[in-house]
Amino acid sequence: MDVEPILKVTNLTKKFGNLVAVNRASLEVNRGEIVGLIGPNGAGKTTLFNAISGLYRPEEGTVFFKGMNVTNWLPHKICKLGMSRTFQVTRAFTHMTVEDTVRVGAYNRFNEKNVQDKVDQVIKVCDLVDIRKRVCEDLGLASLRKVELARALATEPEMLLLDEAGAGLNATELAVFMDLIKKLNQESQITFCVVEHVMQMVMGLCQRIVVLDSGEIIAAGTPNEISNNARVIEAYLGKRAVHARNQ
Amino acid sequence: MFETATQGIITGILMGAIYALIALGLSIVFGIMNVTNFAHGDFVMLSMYLSFAVGSALAWDAVATPLITAPLMFLFGIITYYLLIDRTLRQMYVVQLAVTVGLQILMRSAALIIWQAQPRALQYSFIQGNIQIGDFQILTSRLFSAVVSLIFIAGMAYFLSKTWAGRAMRAASDDLGAASLMGVNYHKTYALTFAIGSSITALAGGLVMSFQQTDPVGGIRFGLLSWAVLALAGLGSLPGLIVAGIIVGVVESLTVSFFDPRSRLLGVYAIFILVLWLRPRGLFGRR
Repeated sequence: MDVEPILKVTNLTKKFGNLVAVNRASLEVNRGEIVGLIGPNGAGKTTLFNAISGLYRPEEGTVFFKGMNVTNWLPHKICKLGMSRTFQVTRAFTHMTVEDTVRVGAYNRFNEKNVQDKVDQVIKVCDLVDIRKRVCEDLGLASLRKVELARALATEPEMLLLDEAGAGLNATELAVFMDLIKKLNQESQITFCVVEHVMQMVMGLCQRIVVLDSGEIIAAGTPNEISNNARVIEAYLGKRAVHARNQ
Repeated sequence: MFETATQGIITGILMGAIYALIALGLSIVFGIMNVTNFAHGDFVMLSMYLSFAVGSALAWDAVATPLITAPLMFLFGIITYYLLIDRTLRQMYVVQLAVTVGLQILMRSAALIIWQAQPRALQYSFIQGNIQIGDFQILTSRLFSAVVSLIFIAGMAYFLSKTWAGRAMRAASDDLGAASLMGVNYHKTYALTFAIGSSITALAGGLVMSFQQTDPVGGIRFGLLSWAVLALAGLGSLPGLIVAGIIVGVVESLTVSFFDPRSRLLGVYAIFILVLWLRPRGLFGRR
């Protein structure tokens, strides 16, 4: 059992010109956890994800993944080490088939000879068998979310960052998606960090929640603690809501 | 009249297949890396000189020289990528333009210094002569070159759709960020793409040297022809590239037959401008 967290972000700052998108954010994710990262629109959640996964270079701070300092590593090296992700605005390979898209992920760990088994397995797990030959640009949002998850799973990650994977899904699709994530967490021991607006998903999935507002982490705790935290309610609903609640 | 036209069309189709091959090099670099290599025609020119050098030193047939020049141009592509192109990727577009135009001038001047201004050609060998079909003549070397070009384009289609490297290249073309987050090393993928684009010019250069001479400014013609083919075809369709190559070849050939040999590029420019005006994404382009 690893005692040290699988992901440890310390004082991470990312600026775009004068805009400080993430300001000295620190967070830890332990192996096997499902951690939720929430916050109002524009709080810096996706920016933080991009800085962790290597897409952005942070101005300050460090990212430790599996005990290694991966700050400023190129994305493909971080992926090789065992981190993968999905995107808020889906970024499947538009001109490729579902199967080829997943295969690109699978090449992270497999070669031409043994890649097919992995592709078949992931396509089955993510329920993509019927549409495996379809081209991604012809697919709907729910399918694209599954394709992205499949592509990320094919890289055989130890940790998966899901960026609003539940957005735009209907209740049935969401329930299926949550079951899948729980199953992957328990059976494949994948650690999850999920950015999510769908509260049903956050509360139903996450053991711990971290709240980001205006680039800063303002709270962290269990779902119960977070839903009663005054600063969190203020960030989401404004000061008056906190006041009304205390009366 | 009819005979001249038919003969012109036959010649045009054969040349068109080679133009498609030359444009393929430009197309994969532009389509996958979004790099507009203005020196592409000069890569063909350099390849032709290398073919001349190898062919005259070893007394080889021009069409055999790519066995040596293709690996050389592959290496040249990798060096050019890491030395120049890689550094322009995160810069403003004008930097990339300046670098590739600069490379074009450099290559042209270097060729002038090394091989002087007079045209160079190789002795023709086993594929010289004509094939007579009815009243029409087909130059064997052109027929051979056209067939090799088409086979190579088909091979490239297979490579892009069925191999690990080809899939990585297509993924990088669709979404570089997402591809690299899925483990695709974009430096290597781009270097490979550029090197393949470069070694395609070696194959094309060897084929063209079997029936043409080369000179230091000959690159302009191939560069402009490949832009015309690419504009006509659009990005992302290899059969489209072949059709566009053939259209350009036929238009060029008919202009020579019916108008004036000195104005051979006039018709090509006309369709180039028409396509950019009427259908900017090309006849078969997906974007």
